[in-house]
Parts: sequence; C-alpha cells; structure tokens
Amino acid sequence: MNKIIKYVVFALVIGLSLYNAVYFESLDEHKKQQNAGVFDAKTLAAHFMASKVETLPAIDASEFLINIIKDVNNYAKSNGKKLGISDNYNFIIESNAKVVAIEDENVLIALSNSEQQIRIATDFIFGNAIRDASAVADIGNFQNTMDFNTISVELNNIVRETIIPSFKKEVKEGDKLYFKGAVKVNTKYPDLQYLKVIPLIIKFNN
Amino acid sequence: MTIPTKPFKPQYLILSLLAIFSLFSCNSKKEDGPKKIAVVISTLNNPWFVVLGESAAERARELGYHVTIFDSQNNTSKEAEHFENLIAAGYSAVLFNPTDSEGSVSNVKRAKQADVPVFCMDREVNSLDAATSQIISDSFSGCVELGEYFVRQLNKKGKYVELLGLVGDNNTWNRSKGFHSVVDLFPELKMVSQQSADFDRSKAMEVLESIMQSNPDINAVFCGNDSMAMGAYQALIAAGKEKDVMIFGFDGADDVMDAIADGKIKATVMQSPKKMAQTAAELADEYIKGKRDFSKKTSLAVGLVTQETIKEFGEFGSKK
Repeated sequence: MNKIIKYVVFALVIGLSLYNAVYFESLDEHKKQQNAGVFDAKTLAAHFMASKVETLPAIDASEFLINIIKDVNNYAKSNGKKLGISDNYNFIIESNAKVVAIEDENVLIALSNSEQQIRIATDFIFGNAIRDASAVADIGNFQNTMDFNTISVELNNIVRETIIPSFKKEVKEGDKLYFKGAVKVNTKYPDLQYLKVIPLIIKFNN
Repeated sequence: MTIPTKPFKPQYLILSLLAIFSLFSCNSKKEDGPKKIAVVISTLNNPWFVVLGESAAERARELGYHVTIFDSQNNTSKEAEHFENLIAAGYSAVLFNPTDSEGSVSNVKRAKQADVPVFCMDREVNSLDAATSQIISDSFSGCVELGEYFVRQLNKKGKYVELLGLVGDNNTWNRSKGFHSVVDLFPELKMVSQQSADFDRSKAMEVLESIMQSNPDINAVFCGNDSMAMGAYQALIAAGKEKDVMIFGFDGADDVMDAIADGKIKATVMQSPKKMAQTAAELADEYIKGKRDFSKKTSLAVGLVTQETIKEFGEFGSKK
C-alpha cells in the first residue's frame, strides 16, 4: 500500500514539474507573439500614405518658392518644420505643373501659375523630409530613436516602390501633372536652385 | 533637602558653543555655496568625449556651479559607483554620457529616485521616464547623407568593410542602419565583412588587418567613428593600400578633418559635442531654477564633411 502511495506521489510530482515545460507551436505564431508590442514602422507608414496624404495641408509651390527666395530664414522659421536643433526645415508643397526635362535622378517641372521651376526626385529617395514635414511622429514618444528613424525608411520605401516606378515609366516632356510632396531646405547653406521634392502624390492631367 | 549640583566646568561651555557654531556654519555653507553638477562621461580615453565632458563642465561653471567630471572608463559598474557617490554627495544634477543604452538605465533611475535630474548627452538610454531630457546627435540622418556620398564616390559598385562601434550603444546601430538604409539599395555594392572594433583606434587597425588577409581587394571602409577611421587608415598604410581604399568616418575629430583636407580620408560626419554639452548644462540650470517641463528628446543635426565642404566646418563644432 505504501509503495502505491509513493508511486502516485512520485507520478504527481513529475507530472506537475513537467506540465507545460515542453510544448509545440508554429514558428509564425511564435514570431507574432515575440513582435507583439514592438513598434511597427511599416504599418504606420502604410497607414499614413494610404489615408493621411490626400488631406495633408500643403503650401502652394509658387508661393513657397517666392517667399523662400525672398527671406529664407524668416519664412522657414514661420512655415517650416524641423527636428530639434537644426538648420534643416521641411515643407509640404503642392501645385499643377508641366514637365520641362527628364534628368537622371529627377524630373524638372515648371509650375503652372508662375513658370518657376523645381525638381521631383526619381532616384536617391532618402532622408526625413516626409516624416518631419508631415509631423507624422514625435521623437519624444520613442524610447529607442532607431524606431523613429525607421519611419523615414518605410515612408521612403513606399515612395520608391509605389510612386516612382509608374511615374518614371509614364512621364515625358510636356506632360501636365499635379503633385504634392515634401521638400527640405537648409537655411544656413540654402541651395534654392536645386530643391528636390520627394513626391507623395503625382497625378497626370493630360 | 538640597539638590546636588555638579560644579560648572568651562570646558562644557566651550564644547557646546563649538557644536552650535559648527552646526550653523554647516547650514550657511549649504545655502550660500555654489550648487554642484556632476559630469559623468563614458570614457575620457577618446578626445571626442574629452571635448564633450569639458564643454559641459565649462558651461556649467559659467552658469555658477561647482563641477566634477567622472570617467566611467566604458564600464557600467564603474558608472554605477559614480552614481552612488554623486547621489550621496548631494549633487544637484548630472550631465550624463552613458556607457550602455540598456545597462545605464538603472543608474539614471537611481538618480531619479533620489530627485537628482539626469540630462543625457550624445548617447541615449532606452527609457523615456528615467532621464529628464536626452540631447542626442541625429546620427541616423548623418549616415544617410554619408551613405549617399559613399554610393556616388564608389560609382554604385565595389566591395567594402564596415567597422562597428560598441554593440551595446544605440549610436552604433543608428549609424550603421542609416548607412545601410542607402547603400543596401545598390546591389553591386557588396559588404565583405562587418565587425566591431569598439570605437577604438588600435582595435580597428587589428580588425581591418585581419579582414584584409581574406579580402585583399576591398574598395572602401565605413567606420562608425573617427578613431576607427584613423586605425583603418594605419592598417591600409601598413598594407600599402592607403591610396586604393576609401575611408569614411563619423564624428569630425581634428585628425580626421586634417586627413580629409589632405585627401587621405574621404568623408566624415561632423557632430558638435560642444553644442550638445552646452545645451545639456543649460537645461540642468533651468531645472535647478524650477523648470520641470522638458522635451524628452532633443535631436541635434549633424553635417557631412568632404573635401568639397571642409572649409565650412570647425573642428569638434558645428559649421563655422
């Protein structure tokens, strides 16, 4: 009788100690659980591009160029957005325009209501112009700044992968189009003749 | 009945008066003397961090504080000792350059519990509620710009090596990821090796010498800081390849600025330890004077330094 009790107690102890010690789950499920609560820049960027860009407030591109040439420092301080302590100001601009030339890394356009020229970037889509001009995120909310930086990477990836290929394929000299995009201006060393717009929207009006 | 009385001894009076005077003397010293600010630096074995620490101390002294600089020697335990000592010694604020983004969090939290505000400089800690404010260089954006320059200098093709800094430091990965967010999009640019050299010049030289034994045909080296860039340059001189391999660094250290001017190193990214340190000291001063509402993080812009742009920059500072 004592032996039976001993075996039962032994079996219970072993059973309890091994309970749930080894279990199986799919790799996908495991990865999903690991990433739960981890910041997902890709989703944030996709949501922004899909639902916020159309209604994003933008400055008329002609008005922007006239004023920035007139007084770069004051105009940038009043109308631009920057990250922390920096001379780089970012703006969202829009306009109707006509394609003047197709260059290696850009498309040169003339604005419809002023004939001023500016470039739409088609290569080297990098930097923080979209993130900082749109204020899509606040650095103070990110424990690790890398997460904040990844937002720019993902926003630029979407532009590079979804906007640029069709634009480059279709665009030709003389085309009429509407654009909305982000542009960076360094107020200390402004290169206003070579401003480059990272496009958020391009629609042909031919 | 008579109450027994002890005979009066003048020694008792003298001792009592001394005790009272010393007590008052201590109090008045605490109220009238300058408040103390501690500057805790990850290592003073690197000139960049020496400038960071001294600039912070100088600005704090200008603001009227008594300042002590502590060297953590890249050791989180040593850093913890400094925090214990400075909390016990009654410092009013800490201007802090952490050794490790994770490992330093507990030190900052200990200071917070003791009501000592901490202002991080250059390196961040992975916590939003520990430090009062963090002033950090925008390393990622700097390396995006450097990456674009790197791609153009190499005509979008070639083999390269990356020397990483301390793997526990967020700056190491912000720089590396900024660089790769550009360079990885060019498939003909191939990274043949990526190794840590701990931000250290001698180690960078050893690591690159070892890498070049199996990869003698590299075209470029991207280094996470300028000390490693100088170490890499020494390794290339020893191998007789200093004219064939391009070197890219980060920091804007004076020897690398000279090397860029002489055409020995291609480019670096200038970050301003002076500006960062001064901002941290001024924020600490505002805290001590009663301000409590601080931005959790302040990013400080950096600039790309190349042979074409070097005239715009001063050493260890922002653009001239």
